[in-house]
Amino acid sequence: MDGIIEIITQFVAQEPAIFALIIGIIGALVLSAVVNVGAMLVIWADRKVMSDFCNRFGPNRVGGRWGILQLGADAIKLFTKEDVIPAGVDKGVYVWAPIIASAGTMLVAAAIPFGALHIGGKDYPLVVANMDISAFYVEAALSIMSIAVFMAGYSSNNKYSILGGFRGVARMIAYEVPMGVCVISVAVMAHSLNLVEIVQSQTIWYAFAQPLGFIIFIIALVTDLGRVPFDQSEAEEEIICGYSTEYSGIRWGLLYFQEYNNFLLGSILMSLLFLGGWNGPIIPIPLLDIISPMIWLLMKVIIVIWFIILIRASLFRLRIDQVTDLGWKWMLPLSLVNLGWAVIIGSYFA
Amino acid sequence: MTNASEVLSSIQSAFPGAVLDSRVESDSRLWATIDSKKILDVCKYMTAKLNFDHYSGSAGVDWIARKEMEVVEIMASHGAHQVVAMLKVKTPRDNPSVKSMTGLYWNAGWYEREIWEMLGINFEGHPELYPLLLSDPLVGAWPWRKDYKGYPDLTTGERAVAITTSEGYTEYTFPPTPAEIEAGTVVTEHPKYPTFREREEREIKSDSEMIMHLGPQHAMVPGPFLLDILVEGERVKKAFLDVGYIHKGIEKIMENRTWLQGITYTDRMCYVASLSNNECYCGAVEKILGLEVPERAQYIRVILEELSRIQSHLIGTGEFLTLIAGVGFAPWQYMIMDREKVISLIESVTGARLTHTFVRFGGVRNDLPEGFADQCRKVLPYMKSRTEEFIELFAQDPIYHARMENIGSISAETAKRMGCAGRVLRAAGVAYDMRREDPILVYPELDFDIVTGTRGDSADRIDCTLREILQSIRIIEQCLDKIPSGPIRTEVKIPKKIPAGEAYYRVEDPRGEMGMYVISDGGDKPYRVKVRGPFYATFQTLTPLLEGVYIADAVAIAGSMDGCPSESDR
Repeated sequence: MDGIIEIITQFVAQEPAIFALIIGIIGALVLSAVVNVGAMLVIWADRKVMSDFCNRFGPNRVGGRWGILQLGADAIKLFTKEDVIPAGVDKGVYVWAPIIASAGTMLVAAAIPFGALHIGGKDYPLVVANMDISAFYVEAALSIMSIAVFMAGYSSNNKYSILGGFRGVARMIAYEVPMGVCVISVAVMAHSLNLVEIVQSQTIWYAFAQPLGFIIFIIALVTDLGRVPFDQSEAEEEIICGYSTEYSGIRWGLLYFQEYNNFLLGSILMSLLFLGGWNGPIIPIPLLDIISPMIWLLMKVIIVIWFIILIRASLFRLRIDQVTDLGWKWMLPLSLVNLGWAVIIGSYFA
Repeated sequence: MTNASEVLSSIQSAFPGAVLDSRVESDSRLWATIDSKKILDVCKYMTAKLNFDHYSGSAGVDWIARKEMEVVEIMASHGAHQVVAMLKVKTPRDNPSVKSMTGLYWNAGWYEREIWEMLGINFEGHPELYPLLLSDPLVGAWPWRKDYKGYPDLTTGERAVAITTSEGYTEYTFPPTPAEIEAGTVVTEHPKYPTFREREEREIKSDSEMIMHLGPQHAMVPGPFLLDILVEGERVKKAFLDVGYIHKGIEKIMENRTWLQGITYTDRMCYVASLSNNECYCGAVEKILGLEVPERAQYIRVILEELSRIQSHLIGTGEFLTLIAGVGFAPWQYMIMDREKVISLIESVTGARLTHTFVRFGGVRNDLPEGFADQCRKVLPYMKSRTEEFIELFAQDPIYHARMENIGSISAETAKRMGCAGRVLRAAGVAYDMRREDPILVYPELDFDIVTGTRGDSADRIDCTLREILQSIRIIEQCLDKIPSGPIRTEVKIPKKIPAGEAYYRVEDPRGEMGMYVISDGGDKPYRVKVRGPFYATFQTLTPLLEGVYIADAVAIAGSMDGCPSESDR
C-alpha cells in the first residue's frame, strides 16, 4: 500500500499544472513575505533615519537601543485591533480598497529582479516572472495604487477622504506619464523592455547617460510614493489623513504598508533603471562572490531610500495645483526632450 | 506731537457738552465720559481729524451700585501720536443699550458681541449680534454681571437626558429643576438668533459646495477653535470662525480672587507668553498704586520678557512650518531644541518652564541667579547665528516661496483698518510696537529696531518674526551691560486693598499689542479686569483673508498668524 506522500507525488506527476500551481503559491508566499519584511525594515529606517535628521532618537524601546522590533509590536497591535467599518461607508468598495492596493503592489513585485546570484562566472537574476516587457508592466502595475486610493477616498463617505482621493488621482495621473516616458527612454537606450536586460546593458549608468531623465524619474517616483513634498493626498495638516482617514486597524495597516512596499519597490526600480542595478566588481571571497551582485544592488537601494527620507525631512509640501502644474507643464515636456536625447544617443552608440 | 489735553480740548470745542466728565492721567492717557447720543460723532471726528485710526477694543463694566453699565471704547493711533483715549459711555442697567461702532470700525464686531453675551448690553445697529465665546445654553444668563448667581453644576452627567436627533445622533440636554428656576440660576428665556450651524448652512448655494471642518480638533489648529470652510473643489469660498472652545472666564475669575492671586491667572491665558501677561497685569496695578519700580527690577523684567519673546517666536514659527511641511520637517525640531536653551535660561531665574508667575507689584519675585549673565552671553550668540541660519534657509527655499509668497497678504491700510496686531500688522509695513508707542520699563533707554515687512504675506510674517528674535537678542545684550545693582522690589508695602482707581496698561506681547484695563473699587479684589488680547484682535481678520484661496493656503494663512486661542478666549 502506498503512503500518502507517494499518492501526492504520483498525482503531481500526472498533473503538471497542479505542480506549477503549488510552486506558484509557494513562490507568491515567499515573495510577499520578502517584500513585506523589506517594507517593515523600510518603515523602521524611515522612522529611525528621520529621527536622526531631526536630532531625535526615534523608536528606542522595543528591541533594544535601535528599536528594531518596534515594527513587529506595531504590526501586532494593528492586527489585534477591532475591525471598525463605519456606518456610512460604501462597504464593498471600502473593504476591497486595501486588498487591491496590496494586490497591485505584489503584481509589481512579481516582475522586479531583486538582484542576481553570481555562480560560475554567470549572473542568474532573482526574478519571479522574467517577462520581455517587464519595465512596461511594472510601470503599469504601479498605477493600480491610484485606483485603490480613489476607491478608499470615495467609499469612506468623508469629506477629507474624498478630497484626498481626488488629490491622489490627480497627482498620480500627472506623474505617471512623465515617469512612463522616462522608462521608455531607458528602454530605447537598452534596446529592451526587459529589466534584466536593461541592467545587463548598463555599461555606463543611465543616470549619467541621461541625467535629465534621471532627475525627472526620481521626482516622479517621489510623487508616486506620495511622500513630502508630494504628500497632498494625506496632508495631515489639511485633510487629516486623506483617503485613509476612516480606516483603522489592519485595513489601515494594509494601506500604510502598501506605501512602504511601493517605496521599497520604487527604490529598487530606480536602482535597476538608472544606477546600474547589480552591476559591479565581484568580491573575490568565496561565498561572498555569489551574492556580491546583490550586495551592490542593496547598497544602491539603501542610498536611494536614504535620499528620499532626506527629502522628507528638508522640503515643504507643494500645493496640489502647483503639483499638477509642475507635472503637466514641466515634467512631461522635459521627459519628451529626454526621450529625444535617448533616441539620438542610443542610436549613435548602437 | 499731540497730547491728551489737546485731544480733550479739541473734542470739547467740536462737540460742546458731549464730554460729561474727563480726566487727563498723563500725556498719553485720556479718560472721558461721552454723552451716549454723541459717541459715534465723537469717534468719527477723532478718527478723521485727530488721527485716532486704531480702534483698540472695548470693555463692558457693570456698576451695580450705581445702577448703570459702562462701555469703554479704547481708541489709539497707529503711530501718529501716543495718546490712548478711553471713552466711556454710560447706559442704565435696566435696559442697557448703546450705539454700535461696527459702522465705523470693522473690528468692533467681536468686542461688542462679547460684551453683549457677557453683560447683556445691546448694541444698536450691530449686524450680527450672536454669541462669540459662550455656548448657546448660557446665552441670556449674562454671566459677567455682578449679580450673576452661577450656573448649576452639570458636569456630573447624572441629570443628562438623552435625545435622539433627526439625523440619528444622540444629544444630551440638562432640563432645569424647579428649584433652580426659583433661584434664578438657569436661563429660561434665551435671546433669539440663528445658531452657528444655521448661519453657515445658509451660505451653501449649490450641490458642489460643502462645508469642511478644520477644528476644533484638527492637526492644523494651535488650540481648540472651529474654522469651517465652505469649499468648492479645492477652493475656499467662505470661512466661518467659531471661538470659545477654551474660554476659561479668566476675567471673571480674577474678580473673585485677591489682587496677588490674579497674577497666576494671567499666566494661564497664554502659557508661551506668560511673562508678558504677568507684566501687563502687574503694570496696570502699579499704575493704580502709582508705584515706581526699582531700576534693577525693570531690567530683569525686560530681560525675561525678551527671552520669553524669543522662545514664543521660535515655537510659533516652528509649529507653523510643520503645517506646510509635515511633522517630519527637521528645522522644526531644531527650533524646539534651541528654544529649550532659552527656556532653561528663564527657568534658572523663575523656577518654572512656562507658567512663571514671576512679576510682582513693584518688582520681581527674586533676583537673577549667580552666573546668569555669563550663561546668557553664551546662549545669545548661538541663538543669533542659528536665527540667521533659519532666515537664510527659508530665503533660499523655492518651495517655501511658492507656498508662502502673496498668500494671505494684507496691505498696510487694511491691516490698520482691521485692527491687526503684532507680526501681521508689522509684516504689512506698519511699524507699530508697544515698546516704542507706549514705552514702559527701561525700553526708552534701549536701542532696537522695529522690524517691518513690505508685502504683508505669510512669508513676510515669518521673516519678521525671525528678525524680531535678532532684535530681542540685541535688547538683552544691552540690558546685560547696563543692569545696575540695587533692590529688586519697591520698598513701599503693597496694601492688601488697592485704592480705588483704574488704569489701562499696554505691553508688547509676542503676538502684538496686549492691554489690560484694571478697575479697583478699593477692595481686596479687582472690580473688573478686561484683557485686550493681541491674537483676539488678529483672529478676526482670518475669515476675510481665506475667501478664494486653496485649502492648503487656508492652513498657511491661519498658521502664519501665530495663534494662541487660549489667550484669545481667555
